Amino acid sequence: MDKILAKKDFPQWLKKLVGSHTVYAPLPEGDIWNYKVVSDSADVNLDFLTTTVPPKGIIFPQREVFLEFQTSSGEKDETIEVKEVLPEDRPVAVFGVRPCDGKSFFLQDKVFGGDFEDPYYWKRRNLTTLVGLACSTPPSPNCFCTSVGGSPHSKEGLDILLTDLGDHYFVESLTPKGDKLIGEAKTLFPQAKPKDKKEAAGIHAEAAKKLSRQIKNLDKVPDKLKGMFDSPFWDEEAMSCLRCGICTYLCPTCHCFDLNDEVASSSPLKGKRVRTWDTCQFPDYSMHSSGHNPRPNKASRLRQRMYHKFRYFVDIHKNYQCTGCGRCVSLCPVGIDIIKVLEKVRDYGS
Amino acid sequence: MTKIEEIKATAKKLLEEGKVKYIIGYEQGTNGWLSNPVFIKKPEDVERFVWDPSCVHNLAKFLVDEKRRKSREKQPDKRPVGVIVKGCDSRAVIVLLQEKFINREDVFLLGVSCEQGGVVDDKKLAKKLGKKNAKKIELGDKDNLIITTEEGKLEFPTTELLAERCLECKANVPLIFDVLVGDKTQRPQDKPFKSLEEIEKLSPEERWNFWREQIEKCVRCYACRSACPMCYCDECVVDSINLAVAPDTSAEEKALKIRWLDKSTEKSENFVYHLVRAIHLAGRCIDCGECERVCPLDIPLRLLNKKLEKEAKLLYDYEVGCDVNQPSLVSSFKDTDPEDFIR
Repeated sequence: MDKILAKKDFPQWLKKLVGSHTVYAPLPEGDIWNYKVVSDSADVNLDFLTTTVPPKGIIFPQREVFLEFQTSSGEKDETIEVKEVLPEDRPVAVFGVRPCDGKSFFLQDKVFGGDFEDPYYWKRRNLTTLVGLACSTPPSPNCFCTSVGGSPHSKEGLDILLTDLGDHYFVESLTPKGDKLIGEAKTLFPQAKPKDKKEAAGIHAEAAKKLSRQIKNLDKVPDKLKGMFDSPFWDEEAMSCLRCGICTYLCPTCHCFDLNDEVASSSPLKGKRVRTWDTCQFPDYSMHSSGHNPRPNKASRLRQRMYHKFRYFVDIHKNYQCTGCGRCVSLCPVGIDIIKVLEKVRDYGS
Repeated sequence: MTKIEEIKATAKKLLEEGKVKYIIGYEQGTNGWLSNPVFIKKPEDVERFVWDPSCVHNLAKFLVDEKRRKSREKQPDKRPVGVIVKGCDSRAVIVLLQEKFINREDVFLLGVSCEQGGVVDDKKLAKKLGKKNAKKIELGDKDNLIITTEEGKLEFPTTELLAERCLECKANVPLIFDVLVGDKTQRPQDKPFKSLEEIEKLSPEERWNFWREQIEKCVRCYACRSACPMCYCDECVVDSINLAVAPDTSAEEKALKIRWLDKSTEKSENFVYHLVRAIHLAGRCIDCGECERVCPLDIPLRLLNKKLEKEAKLLYDYEVGCDVNQPSLVSSFKDTDPEDFIR
């Protein structure tokens, strides 16, 4: 059942949760916003702009230890002790997840689920409740969620969706995890009236009209890409690319990772096996041990990014691997604009 | 003729006469007010060039790409590449020439003087605009900047929006060029190392805490390295593998590649990265501020490099990027060296 939550009661809800949960919310950090662990509920203000770092790191951290290893030498032989390290059991609540970022978890679930379930990802995912916030105005000038199958009030991936109705939120619980989080402070959530529901629907309908950026006929892109693998188009588009990792590291849907044994001591051998984010934009990402590199230059890496998001992922998971959050557009140091690149692909050769 | 018309006319002539391969300049971007780097090959495309206080990028960076591209071509086009350079960018070119990374005949420099202007600092602008979005920025004639937003035009004094490095800039006229657009007037300069004043007042412990907090934010996207025209090494200590691996590199050699730092975004590893970069830029950084501008986490990287620039000036009276024939700081010795252990 839909509920409402008075804004003045919002800090109390958080206060109830901080004892039992690790609570994240977007907080200002100088001139930018990022998800931080909240200890004082009074600091939280959900009137925020798109965070620089997406919330993906809460469930898929940039660095996580898989196991620890250590050798010890006995009188005759050496033994190696390996200890599995799993994410901690404490539940997590993330507030202020924009619908685009919520959708990113829906997409990540496909990657880390399926035939090979990633226990590290799923342990965190199952312990985390995502409290979304519908956008009444675009939180970034480069938002284009509606062009990639999303919406400013999309519920995909979220457990709760809040809609700002002025002095209160319209609260929709979408999963049992969402019910449970609301249950932690039941008395703060009276039933929503039909008027609230209508008002929320109105805000949802208006929000999509406020987006200034969009791509028309994106559905032509996956097929168009088929014939463009060897096109000089990519050299042209990537001329100004600097080869940094911003567009991928700060993408909510990019999920590539690397595994390394980080050795703290070589004798006796001691260290950790660590998973870290990796990106197709770095030269060492695809380099073979022979020295051969199938993605040897920045043109092939820009192409890789587009093909993965708008062709391979579409083939495998029937979704674009893009939520239209606009981070890669806003943050690219040289203004490479995914919307413009896709438009050119769509119109290529026609 | 206005500056942009002069730039277009010069560029057009160069391309028509076939004197340059292509020209690297700026065009109107699609993400708000910021211009983008653009590579113009055809004379008719010079209309795409723009010149305004949003032309922040240091285009000398693309000379590094050009050199690599050329080295891979079997029959390279030997004509020079045209580059639009501001005062700061021209000093980057000087360092690249000084270090013999590029040859003078490989570049044609279209110098543009900043005169009373400079480039806009995106953070200062965002503060002024709040939630409004700028579409275009122009230099007015009353030492002001005119900002076009979706809700109309706004005006601010130049000094309130220019990047700190522009306010402190001692050479806003290109020091090396083949053609100069604009005149050689110098804008009034702030104290040369003013931006360091605040951090220099801190105690070593406070400074350590400041930097620890900043460096912990780093996600190691390496945008600072990527944007820096001085970061041109074929192989960088921060890359996880040896990029110079060839088919005949032995397994032993590969295994013996020293791992100076791990991929983990731990404080220690982040520090290794940033300190290695800072040290490698001592006496080389020309203060174009690109590292700091491109950092998505707003780490004030310029302060690190500026401090080393100041040390080079105070200890060795070394000015970066002023003279092509000057021996570089780290490869030269003077009798006036303040350290006596070396004598």
